[in-house]
Amino acid sequence: MPVDTKRVRGPDESQSPLVFLPPTAQTCEVLRRPGDRGKGDVRPLFARCGLVSQAKGSAYIEAGNTKIMCSVYGPRETERKDDTDMKSGRLVCDVRLAPFSCQKRGAWIQGSEERDLSLALSESMQPGVCLHRYPRSQIEVNVMVLENDGGVLAHAVTCASMALADAGIEMYDVVLGCALRQDGDSCLVDPDFSEERGSWQAGYGENQGRVTVALLPNFNQVSGLHADGEMREDTLTAAVRTCMDGCHKLYPVVQQAILRAVKRKAPPPEK
Amino acid sequence: MATVQVSEAEKVYVMHGVRDDLRVDGRGCEDYRHMEIETDVVSNTDGSAKVSLGHTDILVGIKAEIGKPRPMVPDEGYLEFFVDCSANATPEFEGRGGEELGVELSNTLYKVFNNRHSLDLRSLCICPGEHCWVLYVDVLLLQCDGNLFDAMSIAIKAALFNTRIPKVHISEDEEGVKEIELSDDPYDCMRLNVENVPCIVTLCKIAHRHVVDATLQEKACSVASLLISVTHKGMVTCVRKLGRGSLDPDSIFEMTETGKRVGKALHAPLMELLQKEESLGKKRQKVGFLA
Repeated sequence: MPVDTKRVRGPDESQSPLVFLPPTAQTCEVLRRPGDRGKGDVRPLFARCGLVSQAKGSAYIEAGNTKIMCSVYGPRETERKDDTDMKSGRLVCDVRLAPFSCQKRGAWIQGSEERDLSLALSESMQPGVCLHRYPRSQIEVNVMVLENDGGVLAHAVTCASMALADAGIEMYDVVLGCALRQDGDSCLVDPDFSEERGSWQAGYGENQGRVTVALLPNFNQVSGLHADGEMREDTLTAAVRTCMDGCHKLYPVVQQAILRAVKRKAPPPEK
Repeated sequence: MATVQVSEAEKVYVMHGVRDDLRVDGRGCEDYRHMEIETDVVSNTDGSAKVSLGHTDILVGIKAEIGKPRPMVPDEGYLEFFVDCSANATPEFEGRGGEELGVELSNTLYKVFNNRHSLDLRSLCICPGEHCWVLYVDVLLLQCDGNLFDAMSIAIKAALFNTRIPKVHISEDEEGVKEIELSDDPYDCMRLNVENVPCIVTLCKIAHRHVVDATLQEKACSVASLLISVTHKGMVTCVRKLGRGSLDPDSIFEMTETGKRVGKALHAPLMELLQKEESLGKKRQKVGFLA
């Protein structure tokens, strides 16, 4: 095809103008958080079970602007017959980020970030589910991130365990997730997207990192731990402890939402 | 992933051994298997290394290409990781069988290097906002016998140490058109500072203890392991719980401490070895793949 060399063609790839802001405008002030939320506080959580009527169980979570929905199908006959371990069931987790969920538009096909999240979710959920009760079958957990405003993995874990509970899948305990961002000596619990990413300049400082913990609150067992960045060992240990405290703060909300769903499905007998 | 069948009796045997700090192959709980490292094994790469840890064999090749810096960070180059699980290692990897594991490994590598200190990415910049070096780190699994993560990270560190990037400089004519000029001397190269490149230590929880560098047999006895990447200063750059089990918070803290100690101790001998190998220069007898 002949190319019109006189015409100035647009660039192949376009970028958001926000990217080209001077660095000073990008730095977010971490000293104060919006509202009267302290550094150790989690965002107020909205959690409801049962929004997808077709699914066996489903849940919706909103924390700040992070919005996640999850539906659970199964147990049904496993697709992969070649699996050697037929004595216990399979937990198939699939995390999708909606194309419009992040600042930059994503593709519909599953990218490596989503695959990574799916694997992380699966590893965090498995210890909580009594998979030996479902031999030769698989349970499908589908998570859709509608809006990404930080702490996606942590809230996906909480949302998935609510949906599993709503589906009546036997579990040892609910699994709760909490994220944290370490910025020097201070840490921000349940960061939003700009806090989570931090400013690029701060990345050259020491003790910068992100930690996500999944916790079984009644057993006090950590079922998932993911951290990156660069931290001292003592900082990491403290961060894991802070995350565990954050998980415990979420527990009453999740418990209440599950209780509400159970009461609706099986109303208590009227006196 | 390559797996072995382990009977209940064998599991009990392994567990009891670990309890008494004696493993099936005679190692203690914090010992690595015999390790062999050779750098500069593939001539077409800018840097390469082959590491064998027990029967795990890993080959890493690094190629440097000129690319465009990411718009968010115009003054830095970047690394791309790709892990290929060869069907040579196990027939399960045939076709797309190894893809899942390959993606898991490469995603972990991105996390391990997701900080500003591991590698000075600013040294990879040629012209801010326009050109930078992109290092393509390709990892090939030749044989799997457990502990892929550790072997892979050591191979990457060795390959990065071996990497030589040709020196270029930018010339500008009167009209402001920039041109990249490659140095005429093929030995005029830039080296990377690999001092801060972390190594991964994977700790397998077996009964009430944890072991370093688990074989496939030992891995089959454990339900959860913890991956920690540690720099020579003892900074932790990535932590990840692997496997389908959960861990007690106290044992996580114990494991991070062990991981830090073992990882920190790994760097000094590794660097010494790499420097010694390099000092031999051309006289060095090449071993290759039939070691």
